[in-house]
Amino acid sequence: MSLPHVIVIGAGSTGAATAHDLALRGLRVTVIERGEVASGTTGRNHCMLHSGGRYCVTDQESAIECIEENMILRRIMPDLLELNDGLFIALTEADLAFKERFLEGCAVCHIPARDIPVKHALAMEPFLNPKTIAAVQVPDGVFEPFRFCLAFLATACQNGAVVRRYTEVTDILCSGKDVMGVKVKDYRTGKTETLGADMIINAAGPWATEIAAMAGVSVPEVPTAGVMVTLDCRLNNMVLNRLNKPSDGDIVVPQRATSTIGTTSWKVEDPDLIAIPAEHVARMITQGEQLLPAVRKIPMRAKMAVARPLIARESTDEREVSRTFECFDHAFDGVNGFVTIAGGKTTTSRAMAERVSDMVCHKLGIAAECRTREVPLASYRLFYQRGQS
Amino acid sequence: MTMLEVSLQIFRYKEGESPHYDTFVVQVADSAFVIDAIDAVWATHDRSLTFRRACHHSSCGSCALRINGVEKLPCVTRLTDVWDGHNPLRLDPLRNFPIVSDLVVDVSGFFQRMSAATMTITRDAEPFLPVSVDNLDDRIQPAVVELPDNLSRFNRFENCIECGICMSACPTMAADDKFWGPAGLAAIARACQKTDDPQEKAHLLALADGEHGVWRCHSAFECLEACPQAVDPAGKIMELRRELTAQRFKKKRRG
Amino acid sequence: MATLKHSKVISAGRWFDVRKRKMGMWAYALNRITGIGLVVYLYLHLAILSLLSHGSGSWDAFVSLARSPYFLALDVILIAGALIHGLNGLRVALTGFDVGIKAQKALFVVLMLVAIVALGTATFMIFGG
Repeated sequence: MSLPHVIVIGAGSTGAATAHDLALRGLRVTVIERGEVASGTTGRNHCMLHSGGRYCVTDQESAIECIEENMILRRIMPDLLELNDGLFIALTEADLAFKERFLEGCAVCHIPARDIPVKHALAMEPFLNPKTIAAVQVPDGVFEPFRFCLAFLATACQNGAVVRRYTEVTDILCSGKDVMGVKVKDYRTGKTETLGADMIINAAGPWATEIAAMAGVSVPEVPTAGVMVTLDCRLNNMVLNRLNKPSDGDIVVPQRATSTIGTTSWKVEDPDLIAIPAEHVARMITQGEQLLPAVRKIPMRAKMAVARPLIARESTDEREVSRTFECFDHAFDGVNGFVTIAGGKTTTSRAMAERVSDMVCHKLGIAAECRTREVPLASYRLFYQRGQS
Repeated sequence: MTMLEVSLQIFRYKEGESPHYDTFVVQVADSAFVIDAIDAVWATHDRSLTFRRACHHSSCGSCALRINGVEKLPCVTRLTDVWDGHNPLRLDPLRNFPIVSDLVVDVSGFFQRMSAATMTITRDAEPFLPVSVDNLDDRIQPAVVELPDNLSRFNRFENCIECGICMSACPTMAADDKFWGPAGLAAIARACQKTDDPQEKAHLLALADGEHGVWRCHSAFECLEACPQAVDPAGKIMELRRELTAQRFKKKRRG
Repeated sequence: MATLKHSKVISAGRWFDVRKRKMGMWAYALNRITGIGLVVYLYLHLAILSLLSHGSGSWDAFVSLARSPYFLALDVILIAGALIHGLNGLRVALTGFDVGIKAQKALFVVLMLVAIVALGTATFMIFGG
């Protein structure tokens, strides 16, 4: 009996981690990506390896996912992380009042948190706002989303997966209620092809709705964009967060020789082309200045915006929408052989992959356990050096 | 915020067709970066345009190309810094790489070299802040940092983002397919600097000393000029030469 | 995967392309051109010297040719090439061993100014004195 063939649509963090999980379980995997690896939402993320502290009061489900995955990623991709921890900084009485709930939340979610003397915080971060009145240290880290995805994909390819970049899914082919495969256009050659599959996983991020529509189903997704501003120098070694409920521009993530301030939140109609509102850029500078007053002196190196694939919930406030993820088995919508995995964050992509891979293996009758918690990832360079096209 | 109407002249190539240029006109904000203009072409004019990009803030290195013939990262290049206001902006893929399609080049050979150089992407952070790749003069006085109680060091990623710009700018790379290239040799130099193992060091120096190693460099210094991340590949190549020459003298004295 | 590669001929000539390039690249290209020129000159020089073996008649004929202003102009070009190649060669030798890389552009400018001055003096001596 030939191995089942699974097509994963999207080579962002969700698709990459899923390809890795399924390939480890011995399935035949083809990843279809219309651009470069991580050219969608994943590439333009804040690069933050979350400790979960940000969500430990308002979204504990997410927080617990984050800290678990944080620890796993440190094991499976140790050479792809800046591990300098993070600080949650209180600048006002309101922040200070939040500290109690924050420490409680961290304890509940098993996030190692340390209330440290302000003097020590200022010595570790000399450009931190001198008006800081409290600081809590947590195991935040920094990654690079591009190499993060490349590492998962390189490992998947080592285990037989095929990745087709610059290839766009133009239609999902069905025979009655069963999905049989996809029609794709390869932009390198201009040719159209049909690829058969036993299962299709829609991991297209904010474009998951577009893909799902090709199979005649819908996904309750709300593409929600955010702006980030990268400064031309690194002002902090540790990730700096505001000690309060999540809000705009309350995180500064360092990386290499830069510091990136983020982010904002607004619903977008078309995730393909997002105009960066100047007002949001200005707000990032003003907010960033609160944590690091020197921000105002540093030229801007880059700014970016991309849509997050948030799952719609009752709340109308984008900030309140949970950052957790969900699998949708479209058999419940009358379409077999098609599942969507949406929502989530790059920090939890391995867990997302585990959930959808478990679901897919169950549906295909494959009894294979997830091994992604333990198996170290191959070098990200292997993705290209093997002559990947 | 004003909107600009920009015309982009983009190199096109698809398998089996002849290379040519297509011109597109897009509307972008005056504060836009070149990557935003390319994005606008793709989104509003031609979905068959293939180009590499991911992070949009000079950490992935994938978007490197030539703007009006000069190697740059479009994600950190402001449109108004390279566009004169009326002539079309010309976009070409990097030199010295095989072209896959449009602006996408085949980087497999490049990553083979970077892999063989064995440089890890992380390094110890400097003991002070701020750290920058651009010369910020004395905007901010550097300050020494204290470490947290639980960490023996701060770390960060290497400056090199493996963008391939130096490989495109290097005239030796143009003439010699097998040359390690500025990025490859700089990576060997960094790997050498980071290792304590004398055998590994000897192996790395032997790689640099080879037929397509440091001695092929002819001091054009284009790599130094073009690098967007202050890796200083030229300096690293010369450091390796000095190290290799010193080694030869030591051997002569001993033997 | 089929990719577009330039022909070997175009590849070999690509070092020539100084459009949009910086000073170091110009120095490199100049060095190569003067180097090729000097090699060509070397062959010519040896070929001419071989005239000596054909007796004084052919040698005297050459010397009177060598006195003509057109020939002297060629000599000036030769000196220019030797000065550029030699002085820039000093810069390449220094930077090639990790000395003065930060000043490589300034070094080029200074050395070429020396070359210009020396060339001016040589021209004067050839045509003037």
